[in-house]
Amino acid sequence: MFLRLLFESFRRQKRRKSVALLAIALGMSIATAMIAVGNDIGDRISQELRGLGANLVVTPIEDTLDVNIGGVDLKPASEGAYIPESEIAKIKGIFWGHNIQGYAPFLFDQESFSSAHGSFKAELIGAYFAQSVRYGKESFTTGVRTVNPWWSVEGAWPQDLSDWPEQAPPDVLAGSKLAQQTGLSIGDEIEIGGKKLKISGILNTGGDEDQAIVAPLHIVQQILGRPNAVRRINVSALTKPEDAFARKDPSKMSPAVRDRWYCSPYANSIAYQIHEALPNVRVEQVRQVEQNQGKILSRVSGLMLLLTLAALIAAALAVSAAMAATILERRQEVGLMKSLGASNAAVAALFLTEAGFLALAGGLAGFVAGTLLAHRIGQRIFGSAIVVHPVVLAVVIFAALLVTFLGSAGAVRKAMRFDPAVVLRGDA
Amino acid sequence: MSRGQLFLRLLLRATWVRKDRALTALISVAVVATIATTALTIYSDLEGRLSREFRGFGANVVVTKSSGALNNDELATIGKIAGSGGEVLPVAYAIAAETGSGAKIVIGGADLEKLRKLNTAWSFTDMKQGNALIGGRAEEALGHPAGLELAYGQSRMKVQPAAVYRSGSDDDSRIYLPPADFERLTGIQPGTALVRVEGRPQEIQEAISRLSASLPEAEIKPVRQITQAQTAVVGKTRGVVLAASAVVLVLIMLCMVATFTSSVLERRKDFAVMKALGASNRAVNFLFAAEAALLALLGAAAGYIVGSGTAFWIGKVNFDAAILPDPALVFPVLLGSVLLALIASTAPLRLLQQIQPAAILRGE
Repeated sequence: MFLRLLFESFRRQKRRKSVALLAIALGMSIATAMIAVGNDIGDRISQELRGLGANLVVTPIEDTLDVNIGGVDLKPASEGAYIPESEIAKIKGIFWGHNIQGYAPFLFDQESFSSAHGSFKAELIGAYFAQSVRYGKESFTTGVRTVNPWWSVEGAWPQDLSDWPEQAPPDVLAGSKLAQQTGLSIGDEIEIGGKKLKISGILNTGGDEDQAIVAPLHIVQQILGRPNAVRRINVSALTKPEDAFARKDPSKMSPAVRDRWYCSPYANSIAYQIHEALPNVRVEQVRQVEQNQGKILSRVSGLMLLLTLAALIAAALAVSAAMAATILERRQEVGLMKSLGASNAAVAALFLTEAGFLALAGGLAGFVAGTLLAHRIGQRIFGSAIVVHPVVLAVVIFAALLVTFLGSAGAVRKAMRFDPAVVLRGDA
Repeated sequence: MSRGQLFLRLLLRATWVRKDRALTALISVAVVATIATTALTIYSDLEGRLSREFRGFGANVVVTKSSGALNNDELATIGKIAGSGGEVLPVAYAIAAETGSGAKIVIGGADLEKLRKLNTAWSFTDMKQGNALIGGRAEEALGHPAGLELAYGQSRMKVQPAAVYRSGSDDDSRIYLPPADFERLTGIQPGTALVRVEGRPQEIQEAISRLSASLPEAEIKPVRQITQAQTAVVGKTRGVVLAASAVVLVLIMLCMVATFTSSVLERRKDFAVMKALGASNRAVNFLFAAEAALLALLGAAAGYIVGSGTAFWIGKVNFDAAILPDPALVFPVLLGSVLLALIASTAPLRLLQQIQPAAILRGE
């Protein structure tokens, strides 16, 4: 009997039921889309903030002071210490290795060059551009193109050569300001210590590199006679914003607290782990980047969280209002059932079961629609889809049930309070 | 009773008798108006507010005179273009030697207080009595917490570090002195200005163009990674807020339309009785439309107030500064809500007009 009542109610009141279903589905697609976007925004903005460049810088402990003014390094190559290049892939092997987005090793010195237009002095910088590296079973590509995404090249990026090429001179980049001052252009050849280099592109960074010649690291190691040597590594890592716990000294922690600190992706703990992998280096956070990105990230994530909250409350209210409206319109039905002897509990059970079915169907439809919407928003704004976690489905179904029950319960109680005779006469 | 009075009475009674129905319609309009007001208020304010968060990155433009020092007029021009919220820090660099170890060290001459203010991300030890700020690496390498002597050419100067700072950049190998001390030691005046232009990405671009035009003898370099990241983060956040708000708004509007339409369709008996008593289609339409407009107006007004309050609260919680209500939104929110309610309530009436009143009253 109950099942028949339920079935008939859906069959005969298609319009009413579809309005309720539509309202629930719409409300739940809002919930799905907003939860997905709000949940993902932190990672997305974090990726955008990687555009600020490295947030950790690795230098040899034994290194002497940098003597650098306006991009000109006045420290002689004979001074200072180096990091062995063969060791640096270990950075990827640390506990938070997956959070290392990339690293770029550098070797640099002030050198004299000659070209068809005359001779000039400039900084020679050796770097990885997009070097393939293997660490254990993992292979990845890293270099300045990943770590310094604001570097732009007019012409072609040079290849990361592992050895001096025999046929043609190796390709290098000339800084835009240097090119302007010395008349260098793409295709020109320059000479350093009897070795020839070919300009394949003009580099524009807005920084000191605009006055330098930037070449593949292994070529610069050969020119400077320092095989396997690196002077600095810039590391770009995804980190958790620093808090008071992050600033604590790990050597003064109890083992349990230290484990928690070690297993949190703070810049400090990643720096600590890099230092463990490469004991003879100093790892400093680039404070300008590290200290600020957390703040911006928390602002954006916080904003999305609050907007999500507002949208969820709005969706809940809208769904509740729609459910209440559809039930209140059915008070004559309640009157009829009660005058035929139905108990309040039986009427409530019928209405709430109906609401439950609507919530399940609406929640499911809303989840599908919301997933598509989140997908579109991700594609449109970040160029890659936002993937909705399956756990959101459970949350959405639960929310749908909760909101429809809350919306229905009040209305059902109200509808039952009327005297059946009055309702049936149409006086209520 | 005049026609006007009758109409007014019908309108008010219809709303009052079915209070529940009126309330659900009112809530659905209010929710739409709240979300619209919140989203629009936040969206219009977001660019400036988020841009302000980038002030912690320090200088975003570097002005370098190709030869000679920046004079007072040029510094005044830079200050004017950087704006009231901006910062200008004239700075000069030289290579000195520490007399104890003979080590070469880069020294900078700049107003130390302004240097701290510009680089809020740097960490500083507690200030002590002294006349210099010393970088972390310089302090480790030279290790004279009590004081050290610097030599530049023939001149010498005792330096007492007031605090040690860490930046994670080349600055860690430097010592900063006040401009007067720096000039006394080296005879060099600042030829570079570190500038923080505060504003939205396009305002920073405009300031850079104006600096280039007003100071033809200087090189104006934006700190690209900061300006680019700011443009990307601000642009994408605005994009997400706009897209998410649009989605929520459209869906919630559909929800409201469904609720309104359904409540009108439920009243088909009222409609039939009025028609049977001789009311014209126009009169019935007008009554239903007036009721919808009245509810929408009340709901939208409530929604505007709640929405402005929500935006105010979000600003306060998230940006530490309230986002003030935008009076320019009152009219669009009210008008939009009323129009939407009119469309939602009059569309089903057309459907009903095609049916005979008798058929509706018989319950067919």
